[in-house]
Amino acid sequence: MKFLDKIFRFAGGIAPDGHKGDTSGIPLRRLPRPQTISVSMSQHIGAPSVPCVKVGDRVRRYQRIGDAAGPISSAVHTPFSGVVKSIAPSSTASTRVATAVTIAVDPDDADTDASLSPIDWRSASHDEIVARVRDAGIVGAGGAGFPTAVKLSPPPGRSIDTVIVNGAECEPYLNGDNRLMIERAADIWTGAQIIRRAVGASRIVVGIEDNKPEAIKAMAGAIGAGDGEIAVLPHSYPQGSEKHIIHSVTGRTVQTGHLPADVGCLVENVWTVVSITRAVVQGVPSVIRTLTIGGDAIASPANFAAPIGAMVPDIIAAAGGFGVQPAKAVCGGPMMGIAMPDLQVPITKTCSGLLFFTAASVHEFGSGPCIGCGRCIGACPMGLMPAEISQAVEANDLALAEKLKVMNCFECGSCAYVCPAHRPLVQHNRRAKAIIGARLRARK
Amino acid sequence: MDGILNAIALLGAMGCVCGLALALAARYLGVKEDPRVGKITEALSGANCGSCGYAGCAAYAAAVANGTAPVDGCVPGGAAVASAVAAIMGVDFSGGDEPKVAFVKCGGDCDSATRRFAYNGIADCAAAAAVAGGDKGCPHGCLGYGSCANVCPAHAIAIAKGIAVVDESLCIGCGACVKACPRHVVELVPRSARVRVFCNSTDPGAAVRKYCSRGCIGCRMCVRNSAEGVVKVDGNLAHVDYSVPFDGDAAVAKCPVKCLRSVDA
Amino acid sequence: MSEYAILAFGAILAGNFVLSRFLGICPFLGVSTRLETAMGMSAAVIFVMTLASAVTWVVQTKVLAPLNLGALQTLVFILVIATLVQLVEIALRRLAPPLYRALGIYLPLITTNCSVLGVAVLNVKSGYDFPHSVAFAFSAGVGFALALAIFAGLRERIARANPPRAFRGVAIALVTAGLLSMAFMGFSGLGG
Repeated sequence: MKFLDKIFRFAGGIAPDGHKGDTSGIPLRRLPRPQTISVSMSQHIGAPSVPCVKVGDRVRRYQRIGDAAGPISSAVHTPFSGVVKSIAPSSTASTRVATAVTIAVDPDDADTDASLSPIDWRSASHDEIVARVRDAGIVGAGGAGFPTAVKLSPPPGRSIDTVIVNGAECEPYLNGDNRLMIERAADIWTGAQIIRRAVGASRIVVGIEDNKPEAIKAMAGAIGAGDGEIAVLPHSYPQGSEKHIIHSVTGRTVQTGHLPADVGCLVENVWTVVSITRAVVQGVPSVIRTLTIGGDAIASPANFAAPIGAMVPDIIAAAGGFGVQPAKAVCGGPMMGIAMPDLQVPITKTCSGLLFFTAASVHEFGSGPCIGCGRCIGACPMGLMPAEISQAVEANDLALAEKLKVMNCFECGSCAYVCPAHRPLVQHNRRAKAIIGARLRARK
Repeated sequence: MDGILNAIALLGAMGCVCGLALALAARYLGVKEDPRVGKITEALSGANCGSCGYAGCAAYAAAVANGTAPVDGCVPGGAAVASAVAAIMGVDFSGGDEPKVAFVKCGGDCDSATRRFAYNGIADCAAAAAVAGGDKGCPHGCLGYGSCANVCPAHAIAIAKGIAVVDESLCIGCGACVKACPRHVVELVPRSARVRVFCNSTDPGAAVRKYCSRGCIGCRMCVRNSAEGVVKVDGNLAHVDYSVPFDGDAAVAKCPVKCLRSVDA
Repeated sequence: MSEYAILAFGAILAGNFVLSRFLGICPFLGVSTRLETAMGMSAAVIFVMTLASAVTWVVQTKVLAPLNLGALQTLVFILVIATLVQLVEIALRRLAPPLYRALGIYLPLITTNCSVLGVAVLNVKSGYDFPHSVAFAFSAGVGFALALAIFAGLRERIARANPPRAFRGVAIALVTAGLLSMAFMGFSGLGG
C-alpha cells in the first residue's frame, strides 16, 4: 500500500457544511425485517426490467423477480422470501415511476434461498466475472445506477489501466460509504482486485476525502502489503464526481461526450465494489444498500444496510421517527438529491440517503434577476457559465444555451448554492438539457 | 448669371449621370417581387402571432402568393381576411369557420383544488410539471404559473386564484396558448358555445373528489338532463358537442360539482 | 505611415464618429438589437463612407472648387451619397435578401445619416489630399462598426437580463450609450 503523492486539484467546486459528524460514528446496522417490500423494476439507468413472477407466486430470498430488458438494463432480485401480492405502477423514493413487485415478506428466510455458487475470482476469466456481476443485478451505487456489467466491458479498442474506488462521498450528511470503508475495508480491497482482474488493469487507487481519517486508516490496513494505492483527496464538492475524481487521481481529463474508459480509467463506488465481492465470493445478488437517514427532523440519525423495496416509513421508524415534523424530505444528498412529495414510497438501489429537514432549516427563496456577480462561474466544476445559460433559457434562446455547453452540466448544484440572488440555476439547466436532448434525438 | 448657369448645368449633369447609373443597376440587379405579396400583407391582421404556421404575416403572404399556403390560413383574421386575400389572389372563397376563442378547461382554483407540495422554483408551467409531476393534486389540471399568459400576443390571459382565465373580449383565437400548455388544459372552442365543461381530468370520480371539489366525477347528470347526443361522458369526463346548439340551463342546474357551467355566469 | 495610423486612431477611438462626435445615432440605436444585423449594417456603412468620400473629394476638388460652386457642396454631396446608397440597396436586395430584410428602413437611412455627410465635409474642411481622405473615411467607418459591435453585444445581453419595464428597449439603450460614450472619452488625450 502506498499513498498517492500527487493529487491534481480541479477548478471550481464549493465547500459546504458537511454535517458529517451527525452519523460518522454510527455503525451500519440492518433494518428490522419489514412486513412488506415494494421492489421497483426501474432501479438503474436504462430500460426498466420486466417482471418474471406473477401475482400469487411464492418467491425465495435472492430469487430473480425482474429480467434485464436489453443491453443497458439490469436484473432485479428480492431480498426476502415471501409471496407476490401485486405488480402495479408505483412511484419510488427518487420519484421515478415504474412497475413495482410488492411482496408480503415471510417471518424468516429458513430454507428458501436462491444464492448463486461462489466463484474463485483469482482464477476466473473476464467473462465469468462480468456474467456474475450481470446476473447479480449490480448497478452503480453512486446515485445514477449505471449497470456495472456494461461498465466492466469497455468498448473494443479501449483498455483500462487504472481502477479507482470512489470513497469520496462528498455530499453533506451522507456517511454510508464512510462506515463501509471503516467496517468492510477487506471486502472493498477484495472487490477492487476482482475488478482489476476482470478488466486487466494494473493499478488500483482508492480515493478517500481527508475528512474521513478512520476510513483511510482502515483501508490502509486492509490493503496492507498489497499492490494498491490510497489517494487522500481534499474535501471539496463535487470531488466524488466521476470525471473529477479521475482528474484528481490521474491528472487525465475526460472530454465532453467521452467515457472514462477513453482515458483508461474505471471508477466504482465503494458499495458497488462490496456488492461485487458479495456476488462473486458469496453468490449474493444486489438486494441491499447502505443508506444514511438524517437531517434535523429525525430523532436518531443512523446508517443502515437497507433492503431494496423497503418502504420509507419503515426506515423512519427504525431511526426513532420524527423528533419534529419535517417540512422537506430528500432522497439522496442535499446537493443532488431529489425532493420527495410523498413518503409512502420504497427505496431503490440508487437511494444513498434519506434526509428530513424541519421548517426552520429549509429556506423558501424568492428568486431575483441575475446581478452579474459571477460567483456561479467560479463555482462551476465543469467550467460553464451558469449565469449566461440561465439568462439564455429565460429568454427562450436554447440555441445559445447549447452553444454555452449546457449539455456538459451534470447538475451538481454548486452554482445554485453560491448564487446570492437565489436563482433556480439547476432547474434552468435541467429544462434546457431536456429540451435540447429531445431535439437532438429527434434529429438523429 | 454665369454662376447660376454653371450650377444648373452641373447639377443637371450629375443628376443625369446618377439617374443613368441607378437605372442600369435596377435593370441588371433588380429583383422582381410579386405585387400581390404587398397587398396580401396589408390585408392580414398584422398580429404576427404565427398561428398560420409561418414566421410572421409577411412570410405567410409570400407563401400565399406563390401558392403554397391556403387563403384562409389567418386564424385571427377569420372569414373577413380570408375573403380579402382570396379576392387579391383572384380565387373564390366562401364559408369559413366560426371564430374560436381559447378556453381553460379547469375550475380547480385555490379554493377548490389541493396542492401536493410547496413548489419553489421557476414560475413556468412546463418547468413545474417536470418536478415530481407538478405540484397540483390533479394531474390534469391547470398549474397556474402563467406559461399561456406569457405567450399570448393579445394579453388576454390572466391568472386568477391560481388558475388561468381567458378574457374573451381580447382573445384573437391564434392558439399560441394551446401549444404552450404542458397539460393540454387550454382548448380552442367556438365563441358561441356558452355552456362548457370546466374540467380536464379523466380520473374516476372517487379519485377526483380527493383533489378537487369542482372536478367532473362522471356522474352523467348532465347527459340525463340535456337533449340526446349533446353531452357525452367519455373516460370519466363530460364533453359537450359544440357543433350543435345547446340550451344547457337544466344540465347546469343539476351538475353536483358545478363543473358544467355557463361562461357568462 | 504614422500619419495614417494617427488618422485611423483618431477616427476610430479618440474621435469616434458615434460616441465622440455624436453623428449617425439613428442607425446606431436602430440596428443594434442584434449583432448579426449590426455587422451587416457596418459593412454597408464602411462601403458607402469610403466610396462617397472618394467621389465627393474628386467632385469637390475637380469640379466645385475650380468652378467656384462651393455653395452647392451640400446638395452635390447628398446627391452622390443618395445614389451610392440606392446602388447598395439594389445590390443587397439581389445578393443578400435576408440582410436586406433585416436592415429594413435603416438601409436607405444611411443617406440621411449625418455621419456619411459629416465625413465628406470634414475631409474638405481638413484639407486632406485624396489618400488621406479615403483613409480617414475608411477609419471613420471602422469606428462606426466598432461602436455598433460593442453596443449590439451589450444590447443583446441587456435584453436577456430582463430590465424593469420602464427601462426596456430604447430607454436602457440610451443610458448604456451615454455610459459607453463616457468610456470612450478616456481616449481623448491620445492622438486627439
